Amino acid sequence: MVEIVSALEPVYRRGAHGNRDGGSAITLWETQPGSIVQVTSWPGKEGAALAAINAAASLDVTADAGAGVFSDTRSAFGFAPGRWLMVDQAEGMGDTLRDRIDTQTGTVTDLSHGRTAIAIEGERAEWVLSKLFALDFSLAAFPVSVGKSTAHHEFFTLIQRTATDRFDLYVYRSFARSFWQLLCTSAEEVGYTVD
Amino acid sequence: MTAHRTQRGGRIDRSRIIRFTFDGTAMSGHSGDTLASALMANGISVVGRSFKYHRPRGIFAAGIDEPNALVTVIRGKLREPNVPATQIEIYDGLTVESQNRFPSLSFDVGAINGLAGNLFAAGFYYKTFMGPVVGPLKGTRFWMFCEQFIRRAAGLGRAGYEADTDRYEKMFAFCDVLVVGSGPAGLAAAQRAAAEGKRVILAEQDGTLGGALRWRSATIDGQPAAEWLDTTEAELRAAGNVTILPRTTVWGYYDDNQFAALERVTDHKSAPAIGEPRHRQWTIRAKDVVLATGAFERPIVFPGNDRPGILLAGAAARYAAQFGTLPGRRVAIFTNNDSAYEAAVALRDAGAEIAAIVDLRAGISPAARDLARQAGGELLLGHAVTNAGGTKRLREIDVQPFAGGTITDRGKRSIVVDCLAVSGGWSPAIHLASQAGAAPVWDEALQAFLPPAPSQRWTGAGAFAGKFSTADALGGEFEVDEAEIDYAPAPVFEIRPAKKSGKSFVDFQHDVTASDIRLANREGFQSVEHLKRYTTLGMATDQGKTSNVPGLAIMAAARGIPISQAGTTRFRPPFSAVSIGSLAADTHGHFKPERLTPMHDWHMQHGARMYSAGLWYRPMIYGAGGETIEQAYVREAAAVRESVGIVDVSTLGKIAVQGPDAGAFLDRVYTNMFSTLPVMKARYGLMLREEGIAFDDGTTWRLGEHEFLMTTTTANAGKVMQHLEYYLDCVWPDLRVHVTSVTDEWAGGAVAGPNARKVLEVCVDGTALDNDALPFMGIVRGEIAGAPVLICRLSFSGELAYEVYCGAGHGTHVWDALMAAGKPFAITPYGLEALGTLRIEKGHVTGAEIDGRTSPRDLYLDWMLSKKKPYIGSAMVDREGLVAEDRVRLVGIVSLDDRPLNGGAHIVERLEDEPRDSIGHITAVCYSPALGKYIGLALVKGGKTRHGQRAHISDPLRNRFGPVEIVSHHFFDPEGSRMHG
Repeated sequence: MVEIVSALEPVYRRGAHGNRDGGSAITLWETQPGSIVQVTSWPGKEGAALAAINAAASLDVTADAGAGVFSDTRSAFGFAPGRWLMVDQAEGMGDTLRDRIDTQTGTVTDLSHGRTAIAIEGERAEWVLSKLFALDFSLAAFPVSVGKSTAHHEFFTLIQRTATDRFDLYVYRSFARSFWQLLCTSAEEVGYTVD
Repeated sequence: MTAHRTQRGGRIDRSRIIRFTFDGTAMSGHSGDTLASALMANGISVVGRSFKYHRPRGIFAAGIDEPNALVTVIRGKLREPNVPATQIEIYDGLTVESQNRFPSLSFDVGAINGLAGNLFAAGFYYKTFMGPVVGPLKGTRFWMFCEQFIRRAAGLGRAGYEADTDRYEKMFAFCDVLVVGSGPAGLAAAQRAAAEGKRVILAEQDGTLGGALRWRSATIDGQPAAEWLDTTEAELRAAGNVTILPRTTVWGYYDDNQFAALERVTDHKSAPAIGEPRHRQWTIRAKDVVLATGAFERPIVFPGNDRPGILLAGAAARYAAQFGTLPGRRVAIFTNNDSAYEAAVALRDAGAEIAAIVDLRAGISPAARDLARQAGGELLLGHAVTNAGGTKRLREIDVQPFAGGTITDRGKRSIVVDCLAVSGGWSPAIHLASQAGAAPVWDEALQAFLPPAPSQRWTGAGAFAGKFSTADALGGEFEVDEAEIDYAPAPVFEIRPAKKSGKSFVDFQHDVTASDIRLANREGFQSVEHLKRYTTLGMATDQGKTSNVPGLAIMAAARGIPISQAGTTRFRPPFSAVSIGSLAADTHGHFKPERLTPMHDWHMQHGARMYSAGLWYRPMIYGAGGETIEQAYVREAAAVRESVGIVDVSTLGKIAVQGPDAGAFLDRVYTNMFSTLPVMKARYGLMLREEGIAFDDGTTWRLGEHEFLMTTTTANAGKVMQHLEYYLDCVWPDLRVHVTSVTDEWAGGAVAGPNARKVLEVCVDGTALDNDALPFMGIVRGEIAGAPVLICRLSFSGELAYEVYCGAGHGTHVWDALMAAGKPFAITPYGLEALGTLRIEKGHVTGAEIDGRTSPRDLYLDWMLSKKKPYIGSAMVDREGLVAEDRVRLVGIVSLDDRPLNGGAHIVERLEDEPRDSIGHITAVCYSPALGKYIGLALVKGGKTRHGQRAHISDPLRNRFGPVEIVSHHFFDPEGSRMHG
């Protein structure tokens, strides 16, 4: 397979950056999943779409708003009524879902090339993200596994919390470099490491 | 120790010496000092000059209400003017200048204005600068002539011209309870909310918590107030559910309990740490809010009340008790309430001599009498201060008997003092409650406006709610030992001796006097809003925190009505000054994110000169050494016509239109039919707005029975997406169609030119590319260098051309493969300039012609208007205005003087015509390598009917005039034989 070239390549500087007085408070890295797929159901067909997602990915996403799940290699979460994002470290999830979701249930849109996935982890992850997004990142309001859609300026972003101190962000590829630089700048204050 | 620094006491760290400069003079203070307290400790009595009369002014308050002591902070080349010295925490290297003085603070030539004080009364500008009705300076010109001198003579600080290089940030926060103010009321509220497990944000505008607990004497649960403060602060900091924000001013209260707050992160530091912003702008959303913003002490208005050395009594106590600094050695107190007696004791305890306590009231509470005994000095009940002497330092005060509002001369005497501490009562800081949306309520007993009934989810506490004692502020949950004084003042706001002896200032910052207010009344400017604008009372940086109520009271007295009838100004955000940098935050410098195509780095590495197209960056030309832009694009365009070129088209908007009703939906969106389009075929489509004006165009590819890939122009991708979503959500929710932006999913390159097919044949696997397999507007799937690709044969250049799409992450890989395959054919990458040239030669329209005013007929695209179906805009496209004969329509033009044309230039019929006689304008221009001429597209009245006619361009702005010929917009290969070949 041809390797997918990261949109961040020229600005992806591994190592420690920013304020090092207290050590790196966060770690940033690009997760580079093989599949990022959007599933959208027709009204009334949410259950069937979810069943297909869960069957395809061996996950157990529920119908609650923003509900999500994740494993070491896969994750899925709802980000709007009847819309879910399905992420797999392996390629090909788009085709798998297309086989399971017929046109009477909904649609499958492969976004594997179109989105850049960035993880932010660390004790100050909530603080750094709060500089950019008007979301309540506290654990009570944004529990682990839940997903949300939001925006900072033109950066439309989907976010899933994958640990108490970790969030996975999905941004449009064409904006990814600009967003990454802004994220790094925002993290300078607390110190960050690019993994 | 300095002359005004006390031997001991205060909450400063005397072991740490902080060095700073004021007007170039090196001074020192201690950690914990504000600039005001440090200047006071250094014996500085005059800190600034007044706005209008240039009177010497000293420190008047101790907090954000300071009207006088405004300074300019110098940071490198940056100047920040009008910062209250009371709000500046000193740090090593702090450099400040006084303001509004020339040549120096001690000798200011502007002080001559004081001699002509009567001239500069309220309404001076309005009356003086209406200007003569005739002559060169008539009307406002006279004002404009004088303005340059007045601006220099009056005003506050001078802003710098250097760009602000500091970092600013925004921050979003959510909480259950926002507590504004960390005095006893705020601390107790935060404690209570934290104990209930709520998420609490405690915002304090000062650098340290505690409010009045830092300087007032009381014991709480057996602890001195200051110790209780330390204990409570430690508990709050240890709690996991409390966020404490010092140096944070909550300045705006908006709907749904949304607050704006400014955190001054590094203003108190010599240098920020790496990544630290100077200011942080908080947007806080709170379920509930506790307003514990305290109260502002009011002055009493009397002649000479602005002398340096006269300050608010609470401020004097604070300087003594919190900062260990004495505002004077021999102090008099002038009050109409009990609270100043506590100040007298605090000053005495710090080492000052209390010369006298002058109280307007004939009788005082036992507690006040006891405090007076502790303070010492003469107790003058039923007396008023009627004048103050001294210029740069208070020298003496005149005291006269006062009873029933009348001053008697008998018994008048002078008292030598260097400080007068004044208290005219307290005004709760109700600004945020007012912003929340309700009118404050006048309290006759407290002679103050109290907060209104909440219109949003807030509660009030402490002095904000008119509960001034520490016990009341704490809410009755603590054992508090404090003097039981009476905060209700005598209803006296101004002292008017029979014999006028000087100006009585109400608004110190704007030099508004009591006489100005009475003048406004006489001239009919009686409403609060008129009073403010006519006199400037309550304007400028302090927004009248010390002057609003006295000013209102004087107006009420002048009108002979109660204060409650005179009304009050409703407060608007911001509560105090907010840096513009913090409002801009990361948009500083007109921030806009860069949107890059997958091949962006390739373009940069190959000499592309980029320019922005919206947020996108696209190659303009790939300049070879020494080429001009014109030479480069002509070379690139010629290469396409002669052999083959490649252009990055990844920026085209791409929208996945999916679902069983996708075809029917596109039939409604486009003017032409799409439901009949075969799978793996593309069609050019035109969209209209509802009123029949052309909206956008592009090709849409049918990739499956229920799946289309719509392309839009780069500029309109977002608008088209919104347009589609609107119709699906609001107009046709019954259609089973999903639209998703997939612009970023695909990298796209257009390979164009007579050798385009040959290039693809070299590198494409898995599909045939001949005319049968891939006819015009056909689509095939294949692979290039192992990467899956989607190829559509369509042409914007007029040549045999193919758009090759692949996954964005494979973009550079596929582009490299195409370049390698094209090498034998001298494949040439081309930019937007060449792309524009090729399309002008073909007469294809873009946003320059689909400009939001043109109809399909104007662009000769009426062949695309289906008669078989309705579509968005079909009801209006045939209306009278859109089929009128005199509409401008698309034509081509050729320069007849062999000189370049300019986009936007007018076209006129005769050379001597003015631009107002315009028959149209040029939309796009180029040098056509195919024709060897400068050509352009234009929108001209009559359109085709003018083909073959001569006209002229009229472009006075760029001084370009000359003859042109109007021709068909299809300059090159009008039959389309090349792209179909």
